[in-house]
Amino acid sequence: MSARFDERAREVLPDDARVEWHDTAVFDLRRRRDLAVAEVPDWEALRGQAAAIKAHVLDHLDTLLVQFEEAARAAGARVHWAADAKSANQIVSELLAARDVHKVVKSKSMLTEECGLNDALEGRGIEVVDTDLGERIVQLANEPPSHLIVPAIHWSRHEVGELFHRTMGTPAGESDPERLTRLARADLRKHFLEADAAITGANFAVAETGSLVVVTNEGNADLGMSLPGLHIACMGIEKLVPSMSDLPVFLRLLARSATGQPVSVYTSMVTGPRADAELHIVLVDNGRTELLASDAHKRALGCIRCGACLNTCPVYRRAGGHAYDQPIPGPIGAVLAPGVRAKQGGAELAHASSLCGSCTAVCPVGINLHDQLLTWRGEVRTAGPGERIATRMAAWAMGSARRFDLAGRAARSVWGLLGRRFRGNPAEPWLSSRELPAHPGERFRDQWRERRGSADE
Amino acid sequence: MNDREIVLARIRNAVLHKERHPGAYRAPDGPGGWDAFADRLTSVGGEPAGPYSPSAAGPALRLRATELADGGRIVAEASAAAEVGHGPWDVAPSGGLPHAFADVAVAIVRGEIACAENGAVAVCGADAPHRALAVLCRHLILVVDPKRVVTSFHDAFDGLPANALDHHHVTWISGPSKTADIEQSLVFGAHGPLTLDVFAIER
Repeated sequence: MSARFDERAREVLPDDARVEWHDTAVFDLRRRRDLAVAEVPDWEALRGQAAAIKAHVLDHLDTLLVQFEEAARAAGARVHWAADAKSANQIVSELLAARDVHKVVKSKSMLTEECGLNDALEGRGIEVVDTDLGERIVQLANEPPSHLIVPAIHWSRHEVGELFHRTMGTPAGESDPERLTRLARADLRKHFLEADAAITGANFAVAETGSLVVVTNEGNADLGMSLPGLHIACMGIEKLVPSMSDLPVFLRLLARSATGQPVSVYTSMVTGPRADAELHIVLVDNGRTELLASDAHKRALGCIRCGACLNTCPVYRRAGGHAYDQPIPGPIGAVLAPGVRAKQGGAELAHASSLCGSCTAVCPVGINLHDQLLTWRGEVRTAGPGERIATRMAAWAMGSARRFDLAGRAARSVWGLLGRRFRGNPAEPWLSSRELPAHPGERFRDQWRERRGSADE
Repeated sequence: MNDREIVLARIRNAVLHKERHPGAYRAPDGPGGWDAFADRLTSVGGEPAGPYSPSAAGPALRLRATELADGGRIVAEASAAAEVGHGPWDVAPSGGLPHAFADVAVAIVRGEIACAENGAVAVCGADAPHRALAVLCRHLILVVDPKRVVTSFHDAFDGLPANALDHHHVTWISGPSKTADIEQSLVFGAHGPLTLDVFAIER
């Protein structure tokens, strides 16, 4: 992957046509969301309820986790704790190794993406088969997912057909989505029946009952949970809700926000293992408690991974998920990145936003995403030396009326040299898709005097 | 300190135990009953049938199951067979590996409660001990009592039997398995059933 956001974006969406195509596909999800939301008269009340429940959960996370652990154990599950990704991967690896597992079927889990679990397991000779169709596509292509809900949204049907032909030996030239889906179904069904273990995430977990809630449209998590004799669920510690009656609040918001469906096809609530199987639950921190300790950012932990903020974001839609170079792209990814994954990318991502606030407007649990992005800009050192000098100069110029006037005069005299015509301009990448407006010819104060003067007469 | 203690200590440093739970949520009234459920089910790709009287249900179900099976194997969970009587189906045997259902063409399973808001039917572990059956089959038929249709998803959760969680799983199913992962094209039968019928049978 390239070093810079805009360069990474261009790798996946290299030209205007491809950008337009991606933008349209992603915004279609936003449009479906709007239609579904319009059908729910109590939408805003529901959002408020969800935000309040999440605030309560995050402020009682210690007691709720202990309650969950006790209830899950009483139901027959084994509960493990992982302070970081390394520890989580080790717990899962050891569970699998101890049972001589060779093949694992995995359903979508952003947490395991974040932890790099697949690589860790494959390093130990365990075959991991991602079973969500979109995740399977990017796995076969050896790529990370580019969207929370539609991991291969940046792939065209022709490219998928070509990929399946190359990796699964399907007929060349096939590009019909229905036939391609059938071919993948047949291939994955074989893996499901052969697998020794299933790994899933958890969309929610219920503290009172020790239940896990796993949501899919394809039914892949259900096949995983119902076939092999071992089920390992990996979940972030923030996924709890206090009781069963809290679940419909979130479930009514989740699918409508994600794809515009009234609810996902399968909402599976699992309490304890099957009679003929083992259930292990891995509770993972991996930086979440750092966010929890931050008053400005803890609300981001309320995220239910619906993807609505991606679908509405003008930057995500035109840049694609890979530009973010994070397990979770889009506005929520940019908010979580500097905290959950203290990577260099975090600083850059705080700027991968127009701060238009559309993400905040659609977030079903009321996370103040654009406020948080702005806060991050202040917290992480985002500006390069050039920008810092320029900001300091601007502050100096604006510090006195006389200096400001002089600076304005100077700017007007060189205005024509700025912009894309001026080669070597440090702002060139920024100006490649923008043009400076024409300047008004005279300074604001002269215009003001003139207009006020005429109004006074 | 082990990881459990580390994580709990970090949380305790960050929380104040002050934010209160907002209390029970009350959803506004909306369209309810079997007809509203049937409309919603159709919109999510499912096929409503009925309501049937107990005597009319058997023949209708036999006809539909045979048509869908197209010569393939039909398996009913015991709880569903108890409601619809004999037919061209085998009752799922107890014991054995779930993999044995891989060749099932049509599965018939009892649904506990149906939700008009979103077309979801709750399949409870007590009625569906063979969890794999309802996802491995090519076609799924759920049997519900039309009196057990509720309006909102909140009502649906409230209406689950008190011991629903004692039997490993409760699975809400809304329509046939689906995906739109290839260029947003909606395809039924991603991994699970290609079709879903919901039969309303008066009890």
